[in-house]
Amino acid sequence: MRILEGIRIALQQIWAHKLKSVFTLIGVIIGITFLIAVITIVEGMNRYVQDDFAGAIFGINTFSVVRRNQVQTGSESQEHRRRQARNPYLTMRDVEVVRRAVPDAWRFSYSVDRGFSQVSYNERSRKNIRVIGGSDGYEAMQGWEVAEGRGMSPLDERKSLKVAVIGADIAERLFPNGSPIGKRIRLGSTRLEVVGVWERQGGLLGVIRDASVLVPISTFRETMAWQRNRIEEITVKARSIEEMQASMLEAEAALRRDRKLRPGEDNNFWLQTSSDLLGAWEKINKILFVALPGLVSISLVVGGIVIMNIMLLSVAGRIREIGIRKALGARRQDILFQFLAESSTLSLAGAAIGIGLGIGLGKTVDALTPLPASVPMWSIVVSLVLGLVVGVGSGIYPAYRAAKQDPIVALRYE
Amino acid sequence: MSVDNDIVIQTHDLKKHYVMGSETVRALRGVDVSIERNEYIAIMGPSGSGKSTLMNLIGCLDTPTSGEYVLNGQPVQDLDDDDLARIRNREIGFVFQTFNLLPRASALHNVELPLIYAGVSSRERIERAKGALEQVDLADRMHHKPNELSGGQRQRVAIARALVNQPSIILADEPTGNLDSVTSEEIMTVFDALHDDGQTIIMVTHEPHITAHAERVITLRDGMIESHDAPRTVRAETV
Repeated sequence: MRILEGIRIALQQIWAHKLKSVFTLIGVIIGITFLIAVITIVEGMNRYVQDDFAGAIFGINTFSVVRRNQVQTGSESQEHRRRQARNPYLTMRDVEVVRRAVPDAWRFSYSVDRGFSQVSYNERSRKNIRVIGGSDGYEAMQGWEVAEGRGMSPLDERKSLKVAVIGADIAERLFPNGSPIGKRIRLGSTRLEVVGVWERQGGLLGVIRDASVLVPISTFRETMAWQRNRIEEITVKARSIEEMQASMLEAEAALRRDRKLRPGEDNNFWLQTSSDLLGAWEKINKILFVALPGLVSISLVVGGIVIMNIMLLSVAGRIREIGIRKALGARRQDILFQFLAESSTLSLAGAAIGIGLGIGLGKTVDALTPLPASVPMWSIVVSLVLGLVVGVGSGIYPAYRAAKQDPIVALRYE
Repeated sequence: MSVDNDIVIQTHDLKKHYVMGSETVRALRGVDVSIERNEYIAIMGPSGSGKSTLMNLIGCLDTPTSGEYVLNGQPVQDLDDDDLARIRNREIGFVFQTFNLLPRASALHNVELPLIYAGVSSRERIERAKGALEQVDLADRMHHKPNELSGGQRQRVAIARALVNQPSIILADEPTGNLDSVTSEEIMTVFDALHDDGQTIIMVTHEPHITAHAERVITLRDGMIESHDAPRTVRAETV
């Protein structure tokens, strides 16, 4: 009840001096806005990386054999990196070794690719595309579906046909009015017949699918690769995470045997899973979550000091009121509670504004970028608790000053 | 000490000394006062006579340096701040010269204040505060803020606030000091009516025509009681 009185007075004060209140609360508002916005964006990134990113690149329950580790998380030693650089390139022999090691794999594919190529049709061209030479099953492995025409067939690979399936961006660029199916595009000196266009992936990672051209791996190796024997990636998809882990061990053992590595010797190839990527992200994530409390607490401390000053001014301006309240029977703790309730209400109002602005910022990011920004409930709870802590913390000294006023002196105060 | 139920205030050898730098000011030098229930007392005296100090002690805003003070059967000279606050809340209704209303609160909320500190529930508070405002004829102005009320109306709000917790005594400090003579009379009529209803009233004043409303006048001089008189004699002396 006495706390209600304090809250009522605080709301009255905020309302009576709206502009002053905004300035008073700016520290808290900035701190909480920042907190909510960063948590929202980081959580959004998290979900994005886990659900879309990792899935889009690797898919779940998938592992790849590659020549060397490509995801740098910063924790590898120089030595490890140097050793990795000496790894031999993968070859068709490795493909067969892995294929035999995982006979029960759900999906199996291998590929070569080349970035930063240019594709053209008559006068129109598109730069910075990726040309992939994929084995049969590559599209199924990636989960890419054609929107028009057909996908790669085993026959295309077997006969090294000069055919291509292209991404939606490329189709749009080269064939703005009309279907690309049956048209012959040019990749360097090679002419390829377009047999299909994939569904648009869109979004931040859309470039991977939407700006790619897929040709049969046999065609790629015969006409485009300058190191014909090289394979860049062998990918295995299992039906479950357990199966994937078992298959990965099988593949590793088979490759080690085939390459005649001694026990204790490091692999001269690299097994890559989506967790490598997630690991890199988690690292960034961790840094953010370490830096965040520091930044937020600085602005909250500043915000608390401002509130404390305003509360001291407020106490000084209301000595007479304190005297009246004491004469009417308010005890020290009543006055203490009143001013604590007031500073807490102020600070919580700031936190509430900050939460609103933070959510708004998150929504803006959500609308303008492909990041799914979601405000986690716990961040709102944390913000309100922080607001309360700042309010009580900054109110203690002013409230104590108010509570110890002598009623006789306070009543005569002009 | 007397245990007589009809005695509301009993002081014995009440002293209050203030230390001002190297000097000790003896504001009260042994005051014995006894006030019965439903008495109407005026305390007079020139400035520096100690009447403010006596009022602060009677009002439990301060504690004496020595001596005894029994309020409504309870010795209060040695109580701490919080106990004094509780006594002020339950036993004493203050009326001040400058009204001392909270400027931003409505008349009703001002009257509610003592009940808030008494821990009365919100519904009962509003009911009792309305009742007190009716008693001073201000029920129709209860949602007005002090700056929307005249001086006399403000003082009536203050009286309602003093009454609302049914205190043992109403302690009025120059209640008409800031009012014109017509309004003063109006306020004194309110006090007279309260007295007729059985309220004990102690009024500090230096205006003789105000003391005429009282049954008994205590005159202080130099920190001691100079006289206990019937109001008429005082009036005759000073006029």
